[in-house]
Amino acid sequence: MTMPARSPEPVERPERGGLERSAPAPGAKMSARGVSVTYDTTLAVREVDLDILLGEVTALIGPSGCGKSTLLRCFNRMNDDIPGCRVTGEIRLDSDPIYGSGLDVVQLRARVGMVFQKPNPFPKSLYDNVAYGPRIHGLATRRAKLDEIVERSLVRAGLWEEVKDRLQEPGTALSGGQQQRLCIARAIAVDPEVILMDEPCSALDPIATAKVEELIHGLRGSYAIAIVTHNMQQAARVSQRTAFFHLGELVEYGSTAEIFTNPRVQRTSDYITGRYG
Amino acid sequence: MTRAVDPVLQGLRETLLRMGSRAEAILDKAVQAVIDRDAELARQVERDDLEIDRLDVQIDEAVLLALALQAPVAADLRKVVAVKMIATDLERVGDLARNIAKSALRLSLHPEVPVPLVLVRLARSAQRMLHGALDAYSGDDPEAARAVLAQDDEVDRQQDEVVRSGLQEITGRPEVASQGVDIIFVAKHLERVADHATNIAEGVILVTEARNVKHASKLGA
Repeated sequence: MTMPARSPEPVERPERGGLERSAPAPGAKMSARGVSVTYDTTLAVREVDLDILLGEVTALIGPSGCGKSTLLRCFNRMNDDIPGCRVTGEIRLDSDPIYGSGLDVVQLRARVGMVFQKPNPFPKSLYDNVAYGPRIHGLATRRAKLDEIVERSLVRAGLWEEVKDRLQEPGTALSGGQQQRLCIARAIAVDPEVILMDEPCSALDPIATAKVEELIHGLRGSYAIAIVTHNMQQAARVSQRTAFFHLGELVEYGSTAEIFTNPRVQRTSDYITGRYG
Repeated sequence: MTRAVDPVLQGLRETLLRMGSRAEAILDKAVQAVIDRDAELARQVERDDLEIDRLDVQIDEAVLLALALQAPVAADLRKVVAVKMIATDLERVGDLARNIAKSALRLSLHPEVPVPLVLVRLARSAQRMLHGALDAYSGDDPEAARAVLAQDDEVDRQQDEVVRSGLQEITGRPEVASQGVDIIFVAKHLERVADHATNIAEGVILVTEARNVKHASKLGA
């Protein structure tokens, strides 16, 4: 393992550490350019440029209220459901804009899945929790195909061995950590391309957290993953890129190794060393 | 369950053992250059030491990343810290081997004097201690580490003997003073190699038993 060379990133604005607007990085599955979000008159996210790369985990870190979860919700248009929320700028999935293009939001949310802070299994059986998405998206109609999808998704979520003999039990009967892995299985059952995770481990104990982190590591190769976390050690452990936010602004964005060994911007250094947050 | 830190620790361990092998090889070459008056072998040592320096820098960077990205605790933390400590000792062994090789080169350019048998025994003792310390690290074996620590007094005694006889030689035969001085230098460098081997052994005890036994005799631990 060698110290990472400085990324050949676009030019940095020294006073803010932000990025000049630029084309999406090679390998970017999703890209945000000039994205701002307001709630009524409150500016929550300001002019953010960010890429989520395929095969990598991108961590969004920053103090409470910095806009990281608000930005995350832009990537699958979950902010559409919040009254008074307005998103400007551009977000693309591959090369296709996801706002203002007549895109089917339901289809978008199948391609860009989301896992939330509090595990939220449906009040259905384990099997139906995972099968629900493929059914409604028409990915499988025959039982055999659904069985295959359910098993594959639970295997990939590291849950199959623990639940294979009780698939008809309610999803809510599982432990917190198992429920979260069930939610991950549910997300990947519809074959997404991107997985967004909003503090997926903050409600879990350390062992359950470690299992979810191991799962994230295993999924990374197949998806573009973005994770919001207030746990900096988690961001350091699981991600390859880190974006630091403060007061709605993207302060610094680079390789996780660089951010955690030699951040370029003083505000970043102050946050990760615990001087504020 | 494989923890995220496990492959990091394994990588550090492998790099350190590679560095250890290089250090043993370079030391052996330097000692042989003295015994055989082999100037070419002595010159090779300087080149070989560059690889040890490269591995030292690589370990510096890897340890920094491991601490920053994995935030290891308990035994994992001791393992990461010990890698840096041991790498520093191995880097010094490389430097000492280079110094021994410089003496070998000078000896080869002067009229031959017999290499004292006690110097050869001292060299073999230092090499055995280094090998034993690295084996102890590889095997996570505190008993083997303690066995290395127990050999240090004998090395000190052998060094003293070489220095004593060397001074006598220089006094009695000034025409071979240069060679005598180099023989004494080699003995002192070998004694330092043995000290670094004891440092490595102490690192093994820190990792395996969470006990810091450095300077134990002076601190009364």
